Amino acid sequence: MIVDDNEYVRESVEILFKSEGGCLATAEGGKECLEQLEAGFKGVILMDVMMPHMDGWDTIREIVSRGLYDGNIIIMLTAKREPDEKMEEIQSYVTDYLTKPFNPTELLEMASYYGSLLKETPCHDAA
Amino acid sequence: MTQHNIIVIGVSTGGPVALRRLFSGLPPLNAAIIIVLHIPQGMDYRIAKGLDAVSSMPVALAEDGEFLRSGQIYLAPGGYHLLLAGNHRIVLVEGERVNFVQPSVNLAMKSLTRPLNGKIIGVVLTGMGRDGAEGIRHIKAMGGITMAQDQESCAIFGMPKAAAETGAVDMVLSPEKIGKQLVSLLH
Repeated sequence: MIVDDNEYVRESVEILFKSEGGCLATAEGGKECLEQLEAGFKGVILMDVMMPHMDGWDTIREIVSRGLYDGNIIIMLTAKREPDEKMEEIQSYVTDYLTKPFNPTELLEMASYYGSLLKETPCHDAA
Repeated sequence: MTQHNIIVIGVSTGGPVALRRLFSGLPPLNAAIIIVLHIPQGMDYRIAKGLDAVSSMPVALAEDGEFLRSGQIYLAPGGYHLLLAGNHRIVLVEGERVNFVQPSVNLAMKSLTRPLNGKIIGVVLTGMGRDGAEGIRHIKAMGGITMAQDQESCAIFGMPKAAAETGAVDMVLSPEKIGKQLVSLLH
């Protein structure tokens, strides 16, 4: 799922994934992202940081607090070269961080790798 | 008691890819390797399995009370702090998060004591914040060897930068070069 308020970014990422035979859900912002997670979406989430109403960090906080994180991997896809302090307390939930303009090959490889990890099933409980 | 060589790797955001780069193609090492990755419960086993698929050494989630074995990679499970008792036994503890994270790299590294023999190596890879900086200083003070990931290869050059700024880091390298150094140091 690409979560970005910029239509151009959503479309370009969608074209990229479809050209490789992949599928991509799109969300214009945090609210739409949460709705899709509530509806059962599981997968890799490419999350923008700077979005109106609810930014990427607040969206992640909501994902965690509503118990929607499990079974997903969050990658920040952002123009911000350095994450701001708001990321620090939720960094465990931010698996990777890619800066725009992104390298299409790197993005596809990253999404493919993290997508493959989500197909794994639990082996055992810790401790 | 035989003393192991021990490698403790601290890492956060960008970690799964950096770890894959480090361990892909690396031969088995004469060391027990402990990875402390900032990760929530429920995701840890997925990362362990992903790394196990590309590593020549077996990768598993660390279990409480487990004794370290050479040639094994232990991933600290999310939701616990990992400590090393006597440099040879894993202890998982609950408790408060430290600087927003659990497991904490600093706690794991600072639980090590000066070894009678065997090498101690500390590595800090990509991630936000300063976790690992105190741990690296501790390892260096014990006579250990320390490395940090370089800026160019980092998703976020926060933790490695903080570690390097302590003045206690011996080498700043890409994940692949860190792997080569490990092979060389433990040959």
